[in-house]
Amino acid sequence: MKSIAFKNTTSQKIYDNYMRRIKRTTSSLNKMDREEVLLEFNSHIFEGIQMSTDISEEDSLLHILDKLGDPEVVLKPLIADKKLFEATKTLNPIHVFKALLLNIGNGISYAIFSLLYLSLFGFLYGIVLKLMNPNEVGLFMVNGSIETLGTYKGLETDVVVELLGNWFIPVMLLCAVVLFIFITLLLRLKQNMKN
Amino acid sequence: MNDEFIHKWKSQVKKGTLAFIILNVLKDNKFYGYELIEEVRKFTSIEIAEGTLYPLMNRLKKEELVVSEWVEQNSGIPRKYYSLTTIGEETLIEMTSYWSELEKAINKISK
Repeated sequence: MKSIAFKNTTSQKIYDNYMRRIKRTTSSLNKMDREEVLLEFNSHIFEGIQMSTDISEEDSLLHILDKLGDPEVVLKPLIADKKLFEATKTLNPIHVFKALLLNIGNGISYAIFSLLYLSLFGFLYGIVLKLMNPNEVGLFMVNGSIETLGTYKGLETDVVVELLGNWFIPVMLLCAVVLFIFITLLLRLKQNMKN
Repeated sequence: MNDEFIHKWKSQVKKGTLAFIILNVLKDNKFYGYELIEEVRKFTSIEIAEGTLYPLMNRLKKEELVVSEWVEQNSGIPRKYYSLTTIGEETLIEMTSYWSELEKAINKISK
């Protein structure tokens, strides 16, 4: 991107600082989107300066930047939008959590999705319990029917069989992964419907 | 009169009609970012930061209502021109007809 050259060093500093703030705000986006935002704001500032009737360069720059607003604030919806799109495309859990955090104020459905994702920790909690009490945690079959996932405290006369054995942890992990993919696909579907 | 209520209501109306205004400005026209904002300003006294219009344009693009293209300039700093797509034109017609229905209804009710 071609930067704007100012005659006045103070103007140059103000401009450089503003562009740095845009870069910092958009740092979580991919390279193409980052470049696009930067080019667009750069063009806006340049055209504004050309049209300006202010006598001093510094005044007109300050006036334009003031009207544009703080990059951290005005770019927020764009970043929330783009992050969510990226996150559901890549299925990367960290991206998904970050994107949901950015979007949580944009509607009740994002809060519901966050809760769904939180429910994944149930499986992980199961694994922790299993590691702590290997004999008491599992998938239990009581008197011939599948009764409980977790710990079983029942009557002594019950015929209790644990079904998963050493497979408990892998199965719980698999459940968490499958559920994660399922919720993320739902989120992607919701995004596509919105578009 | 409740000034605060009116102020809030006006800003809601402005926000709600911003996309409609932008689409109208782009009807039969091609504008680059800065120019587009200047045009929008002629028709509405929006109190929001001009920078927020860029995310909005991005959204309109995602909805396939507008397209944009970068055009190189002698200055070396290209301009991004926005124009309506066919979907955008059709959407605008629909929005305009809804708007006039609303206007009629409001005129009737406030008589």
